[in-house]
Amino acid sequence: MRVCCGLTNHLELAKRPDLYGGPVVVGEWEEHVIAASEEASLFGVVPGMPLRQAGHLCPQATFLAPDPDAAANLRELISSALYDLAPVVEVRAEGIASIDVSGVVRSGESIREARRRLRAAIGREPRLGLAPGPFSARLAAARARPGRLMQVEDPRTFLAPLTSRELPLDEEQLERLDLLGLRTLGAVAAIGPRELESQLGREGRHAVLLARGAEPDELIAWRPPQFTCAHRQFEPAVEDREALLFVSRALCGDLAAELGLRGAGAKQVRVRLAYESNQPDERESIVRHPLSSQAELFGLIGQWIKEWQPRAPVTELWIELPVLEAAGRRQLRLWSGGDGNSEEVIAALERLQERHGDGVVSKPRPALLSSPLPTQRFDWVS
Amino acid sequence: MQAAQLEHAISTIRVRFGSQALTRAAELPPPQPWPSRTPLDRLSGIEGLPRGRLTLLAGSGTCGKLTLALSLLAAATREFAHAVVIDTRGGFQKGSPRTHGEASEFVGNFDPWSLLPFDPELSSLAVVRLDPDPSGEAATTLARAGAGFILLMGEVPEQWLGPLEAGANRSGTVLIGVVDAPGRAFAHASSLSLGFSRTEWVWDRDQLVGMKTTARCLKNRVAPPLGESELEIRYPLGPGLPFKAPVMEVPLHAVELECASAVV
Repeated sequence: MRVCCGLTNHLELAKRPDLYGGPVVVGEWEEHVIAASEEASLFGVVPGMPLRQAGHLCPQATFLAPDPDAAANLRELISSALYDLAPVVEVRAEGIASIDVSGVVRSGESIREARRRLRAAIGREPRLGLAPGPFSARLAAARARPGRLMQVEDPRTFLAPLTSRELPLDEEQLERLDLLGLRTLGAVAAIGPRELESQLGREGRHAVLLARGAEPDELIAWRPPQFTCAHRQFEPAVEDREALLFVSRALCGDLAAELGLRGAGAKQVRVRLAYESNQPDERESIVRHPLSSQAELFGLIGQWIKEWQPRAPVTELWIELPVLEAAGRRQLRLWSGGDGNSEEVIAALERLQERHGDGVVSKPRPALLSSPLPTQRFDWVS
Repeated sequence: MQAAQLEHAISTIRVRFGSQALTRAAELPPPQPWPSRTPLDRLSGIEGLPRGRLTLLAGSGTCGKLTLALSLLAAATREFAHAVVIDTRGGFQKGSPRTHGEASEFVGNFDPWSLLPFDPELSSLAVVRLDPDPSGEAATTLARAGAGFILLMGEVPEQWLGPLEAGANRSGTVLIGVVDAPGRAFAHASSLSLGFSRTEWVWDRDQLVGMKTTARCLKNRVAPPLGESELEIRYPLGPGLPFKAPVMEVPLHAVELECASAVV
């Protein structure tokens, strides 16, 4: 594993870039501080302390109520921006964005692009760290200057002089480490995992492995949302079926291009027609094999539109793909003709089953193939 | 810019007048016929069965057309990704009694699949059972999608014959129809029609093992008609029996190479 960590502001702070440069504290009144800007930290405000205490320490700070939805949206935005650069991406609300660049071709370019995208999303230069695991990468990033990368080759050597308060332990456990004289990560790494486990429980063992640079934690990979849609408004409203077919074919093309980029296929398809006055009509279906090409999508949707009897002029057409999954990638059968069209033929057979019932299509299942009795050679399954 | 406008015009034509209204040269079916490795290749005059066109195997009663068709189907399952049987008569099911023909008096409760050779690639085979009306649409859809081989067990409604042939033509599908006596529209839509008539049964140690049949080229739009041939068709009675081939050509007693019909 080779992890690049980008440290930025807490995402609760990043959603208000206009307040950069001044002390900002985020938290509910009568509750604890969720995030504090660097300027507020200079006054002793730290996350976790009561907000009332933060108000006493830094009365000139701007106090903001948390907005978890906005922070979650920003997190999704950053994750999707970084997802192009490496397959494993993790973004935390605390402002820690990590990508696993092991195996990535031209990882240097990916890291430069990650810095540029983080800066565009947050509005400030991130600090970057590159190390064999997320823990050492985060500590390296914390020690880098804004916009610069600190690279760690030997995590144990890098971690050894750092204070043991960097470990993810609660306050009581950290005080206990202090009482045991384990004030640096090097000292923690020198004792055995079992000895610290007997003192601190399971977290003790985990802390020793972290201090040794063994990096027991994995990144929790972000997955892109499994939903996409395309729609077109009609002004004026459309009554012509051919026009609907034309537009739906174009929308299928757009969706197929997007699915192709994501390597995904649609497992479920939903089409909605909005009318001028009435309630919208809707039709949806789950397909057995994911549809990913324009021909496959339009084969199903075009069929629906040909059968549809709209009650009134159509004002809007929506094509939604609510469930996506990885598009099947097959090894072509080398000696079989027309195997490239196999997905389309399978999709056509499935559409026949959807319209006329499962029993319409049957396939043979081998039984006793060498039996001279024809009834024993294969069974038929739908 | 011009290319985009051209693409737009092509899309508009296809949406307005159907996808078959305009065909790209790159989408035209390959001109090579499908070599079935049966004596039918010689009868077609092009050393194979035509792709993208309808080939009819016709003949009343038990004359070997179904055995021959299933032999072609088994060969197609090994060569194409999808070989589909469109069963419009609904009688192409395991254990269903045969409703026509004379073989029932010899084989009892007739199972059409008993005529399928022993070596098909089962993963490529699918059977679609529909009424005649939707079967035309199903065959057209599958041909457009690119199924390599479609065996029609019965006639397709007249209105679907044009789209079916166009779809097959675009994909290069081998279309075989098996009927007793084709209707006028079905016969007109076919490019190659072969008529079969049984001449005698073939017995071996008191067991019925096949038949001799006369195959006659009734219509040929892909090459000049070549007349007729006598075939010996063997039933697939077991995987280990030393048959040379399920269909063999035997010398005609009187070879009459004549033009059987004009191009329709």
